[in-house]
Amino acid sequence: MATVLIENLTKVFPPTANQPNQVQALGGLNLSITGNVLVAVLGPSGCGKTTLLNIVAGVEQPTSGSVRSVQDGVPAHISYVFQEPRLLPWRTVVNNMIFVQDRKSDRSRREAEFYLSMVGLGDVADLYPSQLSGGMQQRVNIARAFLVNPDILLMDEPFSHLDALTGRSLRDYLQKIWSQTRKTALLVTHDVNEAVELADRIIMMRPGGVIFDDIPVNLPRPRHPSNPDLQFLQNDILRRFDSMEAAVRFGVG
Amino acid sequence: MSDLSIVTPDSVAQLSDREIRRSIRRRWVTRTSILLGWGAFIGIWYILSDIVFRDPRLPSLHLVLQRAGRIIATPGFGSDLGNSVLRLLGGFLLALVISSVLGLLIAYSDWWRNLLQGFLQLIVSIPTIGYAVLALVLFGISPIGPVLTTMLVSIPYITLNVAQGIAGVDRRLIVMSEAFGRTRKQIARDVLLPSSLLSLLSGARLAFAVAWRMELLSEIFASSQGVGFQIRSSFERYDTQAMLAWTVIFVALMLIFEHLVLRQIDRWASHWRSAEPSATR
Repeated sequence: MATVLIENLTKVFPPTANQPNQVQALGGLNLSITGNVLVAVLGPSGCGKTTLLNIVAGVEQPTSGSVRSVQDGVPAHISYVFQEPRLLPWRTVVNNMIFVQDRKSDRSRREAEFYLSMVGLGDVADLYPSQLSGGMQQRVNIARAFLVNPDILLMDEPFSHLDALTGRSLRDYLQKIWSQTRKTALLVTHDVNEAVELADRIIMMRPGGVIFDDIPVNLPRPRHPSNPDLQFLQNDILRRFDSMEAAVRFGVG
Repeated sequence: MSDLSIVTPDSVAQLSDREIRRSIRRRWVTRTSILLGWGAFIGIWYILSDIVFRDPRLPSLHLVLQRAGRIIATPGFGSDLGNSVLRLLGGFLLALVISSVLGLLIAYSDWWRNLLQGFLQLIVSIPTIGYAVLALVLFGISPIGPVLTTMLVSIPYITLNVAQGIAGVDRRLIVMSEAFGRTRKQIARDVLLPSSLLSLLSGARLAFAVAWRMELLSEIFASSQGVGFQIRSSFERYDTQAMLAWTVIFVALMLIFEHLVLRQIDRWASHWRSAEPSATR
């Protein structure tokens, strides 16, 4: 079983030419995620969500505190769905998939094509990324993350660059593929709809990298945005954010 | 009645016909202008050789070409040409290797950038004849001079292009590769190299154009073999026909190499850029 254990995590960015003061992105964050759940970290832009994800992925170092990602006592295998597709433009779609595989074999291509077909892209394996639409490229991004069979899946606002209709269709693909693989997943988003539609648990963050709320989402899958329970939950979450903002404004947060 | 154009299958077909005609016309204009350019070159040559200077100061083009044919048929031709090409390729390949390392250093380190920038500017600003004379002074009549001078003049062009190519690599692709646990070697081979390959190739083509001129010049001054040496020998005999014939042969060979090898490599390396958008998008 995969676990992500985050203790007293802080990240402070030093002053730069564009930003004369140091910036606290994460302020002593504690979080524990265990099992085959999809956890959404929800918060406004600039509240430290992506920094948190980058530190969990190991591509950024914390100022203090610790992150442990383990699967049955050994370091967990992590993969990432980025905000933008981040595909190598000189490689075909299938070769972009194979690039992230640890062991290349005769089966690599078949495995890559299997995950591409799961996101409805079985027939574009030999095209270059520039030949695909933005939504199709993002589906490759999702398929690539699942291909490496990760213990933990990190997703950084994967639908934020897409129009609403394409974003909704991709969320359906993600729900489908996640339901079949049930990976421990951490999704950061600023979109309340996205969080309630996809997550089993929603962690709410405010600027300064502080968690102010943590709620479970016990709704059956697949979830449709028109479900009244989802809409009720969205309103509840928005109320919680309003209360948090008011509390911060009046110095009680 | 308003003149609104209505999009129908017929109008689309007409439009594509128009497009095809325009494309054919463009191709013919290009071909005609190339032919006109060559025609003008040949015409000017004949005006200069038959009216202004006359043989033997400037022989007619057909005489030069006939002489080139006779030179190619001589037994020693292969050895002279082979020597020149080997020196050129030797110097050029050395420059490619050294420049790739220097380009990496410049792209990743301010210290190296500051150290090498002045040095590279100096190399570019020295006239090529200066190198040829210096090679003669330092190495005498030997193959080392032409190889080293060819290498030296090629280095700045390739280095700066490599550095520019590496500096222009999309950082997000490197972060993606790191997030998926790719090793440094894999990132260098699969991300950095392909990202900067087009810059490297454009620098290499530029450097090659300078390198073969430098090679020829070095041989004129500091060699006892090769095309450059043959040009000097012809000049010393006041045999303008042979001098121009050797030059024409070498230039033709370099142009063929540029078109058949360097441009094809360039086309191969950038084939993904010209991929047509898919009908399924």
